[in-house]
Amino acid sequence: MNDQCGFRDLSEEDVLDAMRSMQGYVDITPGTFREIYSLAYDLALKRIRTLGKAEEIMTSPVHCLHCEMSASEAATFMADFGISGAPVVDEQGIICGVVSEKDFLRKMGLPGTASFMTVVAQCLTVSGCLVADLRKLHVHELMNRPPVVATLDTTVSEISELFTKLSINRIPICDATGRPIGIVTRSNLVGSLCEMR
Amino acid sequence: MKGTTQSPPRVGISEAGWSWLGAFLGISLVGLVQSLFVDQVGQGLLIGSFGATAVLVYGAIRSPLAQPRNVLDGHVLSAFIGVLSFKLVGDISWLASALAVSTAIAVMHMTKTLHPPGGATALIAVIGGDSVHKLGYFYAFIPVGLGAVILLGVALLVNNCAKNRRYPEFWL
Repeated sequence: MNDQCGFRDLSEEDVLDAMRSMQGYVDITPGTFREIYSLAYDLALKRIRTLGKAEEIMTSPVHCLHCEMSASEAATFMADFGISGAPVVDEQGIICGVVSEKDFLRKMGLPGTASFMTVVAQCLTVSGCLVADLRKLHVHELMNRPPVVATLDTTVSEISELFTKLSINRIPICDATGRPIGIVTRSNLVGSLCEMR
Repeated sequence: MKGTTQSPPRVGISEAGWSWLGAFLGISLVGLVQSLFVDQVGQGLLIGSFGATAVLVYGAIRSPLAQPRNVLDGHVLSAFIGVLSFKLVGDISWLASALAVSTAIAVMHMTKTLHPPGGATALIAVIGGDSVHKLGYFYAFIPVGLGAVILLGVALLVNNCAKNRRYPEFWL
């Protein structure tokens, strides 16, 4: 099983040191303890992966952009809330797309995988404004559509499959009417595996 | 058969000290009760298996094998099985002995009362001589049951004295 957090494999030294710190004779060999631990760890992972639902790990409520916002309003919005992406909703509050840093980078003529340093390097070497083209754009021209979404019941393992297959870092969680009620990001996903509840 | 791990670490000297104290008090009390009351009925209270029980209930107090249910039920069940084996095939000593010990182990396993000294208690029922054989099934109560209860009582007191020591881990 994939050991995301490095906690699955205890060493004999880990266990021996732990036993030494306990008062009294602990009636088990380090080897047997490690065996039980790995088995229990795998069972816990399986439990969280199959039973864990989007509802349990999502961030909610979710900050949404409006499709009529300008690119600069959207950038300010995302900067103010410290997010790197957001769902886009229409006048009825129904989701119509997703905007992320990648979309901005693409409109700046950079590849979607460019980093902050790419932007700085470009700024320092190229004359002219990198974001000049962005000024005239609205969110509905920037956004990725149709949006990839999930529901409250989507499992953690289904979400992580989507992230891997589609190379995305976030997925809005929508209700039956298509309104975003939360969002699951890569950080939520990693956090959920490390916190063995 | 290679051996894949190692022994648990050695305990500190305070643990050894508490174990010594508990065992000293526990066995003393069983011996005293014997000399004050039980000797009069012609049966010793201190049987060999109590030395083994003392190791567990004073020396390895966290062990599942040392918990009160295992001590009392393990001893009593094994005593019954030992006496039964003797009554069935006691004239063939090796057979009664083997039957007593192995059946005691199997029954203790199935009742979750595994207690190593129980094997000794079962064996003593067979090889313990006339004074034991005379008791018949009463052997399970005196000396076995009474002695186990005394050892447990001392354990409950002594094992909860030190800050980091606690006993039992579970009752049932």
